[in-house]
Amino acid sequence: MEIKQKEENGIVSIAIKGRLDADSSPEAEKVVKEALEGQTTRVLFNLGALEYLSSAGLRVLLSAAKEMRRREGKIVLCSLNEFVKEIFEVSGFQSLIPITDSVESGMEVLS
Amino acid sequence: MGNNNSDTESILLVDDNPTNLQVLFQTLAGVGCKLLIAKNGNGALAIAGKALPDLILLDIMMPDIDGYEVCRQLKAVDATADIPVIFLSALGETEDKVKGLRLGAVDYITKPFQPDEVIARVNTHLTIHRLKREVESQKDKLAHELEVVSEVQRKLLPKELPKIDGFKLAANYETSRYAGGDYYDIVELPENRWGFLIADAEGHSAPAAVLMAMTCALFRAYPDSADDPAAVLNYLNRHLCKVAEPSFMTALYAVYDAGQQTMRIVRAGQPLPMIYRASDKKSFELECPGVYPLGIEPYDIEVPVTEIKLMPGDRFFVYTDGLSERFNAEGESYGEERLLQPLATDSASTPQDVVSAIISNLEQFAGDHPADDDQALLLGIVD
Repeated sequence: MEIKQKEENGIVSIAIKGRLDADSSPEAEKVVKEALEGQTTRVLFNLGALEYLSSAGLRVLLSAAKEMRRREGKIVLCSLNEFVKEIFEVSGFQSLIPITDSVESGMEVLS
Repeated sequence: MGNNNSDTESILLVDDNPTNLQVLFQTLAGVGCKLLIAKNGNGALAIAGKALPDLILLDIMMPDIDGYEVCRQLKAVDATADIPVIFLSALGETEDKVKGLRLGAVDYITKPFQPDEVIARVNTHLTIHRLKREVESQKDKLAHELEVVSEVQRKLLPKELPKIDGFKLAANYETSRYAGGDYYDIVELPENRWGFLIADAEGHSAPAAVLMAMTCALFRAYPDSADDPAAVLNYLNRHLCKVAEPSFMTALYAVYDAGQQTMRIVRAGQPLPMIYRASDKKSFELECPGVYPLGIEPYDIEVPVTEIKLMPGDRFFVYTDGLSERFNAEGESYGEERLLQPLATDSASTPQDVVSAIISNLEQFAGDHPADDDQALLLGIVD
């Protein structure tokens, strides 16, 4: 797994590539936590290059969503591939965290 | 120089030259450990095997068997394999040192040595060895505790599956490490109805085991008859929301009416149930809308209930994602599609036969790649 984060115009973007599973989720959790340490209230996850997501990975995204809710902020997950999208739908997480097809439409949700 | 050495620790000094041995003895007299000596290779092996010292300082050139061979033999025996060996030799070429280190020695000191250097290195290696032993012992202790948790956990599962009129059952439960987060249970309800629960705590090991045990306790303490699947799910969720964070629990609950052969299903993050229709010999995933897993937040929508009528020979199959997300050595997951195949195995089979077919198909796919998640499954076949 590769995880990168940047902050632009008050929006924290986190891109995750590869597999987000029990092995890689502790590292992802750490990066996400650090990325949210500022007072940001808008987070975008670019999951376009995410190949696999396990329940441990769902937990990382859920923690970020909960943190944003506490701050009354906004979070969006973008560009999920079919497999990852299906995991979201079957697990019911799509009703907890908004999903958009592209980063552009994700930006609109946050604006 | 400060150190944490104690006189319960011992160092074996090996050299065929009495003067060298004496100098070494005097050098290390102050490190606080018991010092043992051997004047040749055979003597070193004998003392090491009996006394199991905490460190060995080993000369290389000796008349009987040389230090390399002593080291090789020490490393070949379980009891002495972990004792750190430091070579102490006049052979100062890089290739000598590399040879010694390749044999498993932790260090190599060239003679003539500086006493302070020897003391410093000895202290370092004694400390490393001590810490290593502590880690090992903590690891053993933890593994033992998890084994105990696992034993308790298995007692929480149904001891035997109930005999239901016209609906035969089989189940399978395996944990990837000692303790697991998967759970299944079956309760008898009024009027020949039965409640089936299968659940999976996110994560593994102790935290998952606690959630699993809690879900079991909550389910068994359900105050009403667990006849209304949506109410059961809301009840579990309400209670788990207070304790689960940052984790969660996926669950599927189904009420089977043995008189009507109907199944009413609610699903919170669990994989879709699978059905095998005997009439057309086909298996499929049942479209079954669900809600997010238990323990995240109360459901603000009505929990959807899916009802299905089963016919003679039909199979109802629920499982945790440890099966569908089992990987093989190539990094490929087993997947739902593959799981549907053994479920549709020869219609004359008993539930146990079908479960065996599923497990063997899965194991064949995974090969020797071990499971890294727990696996639970429950199967019922209508007579």
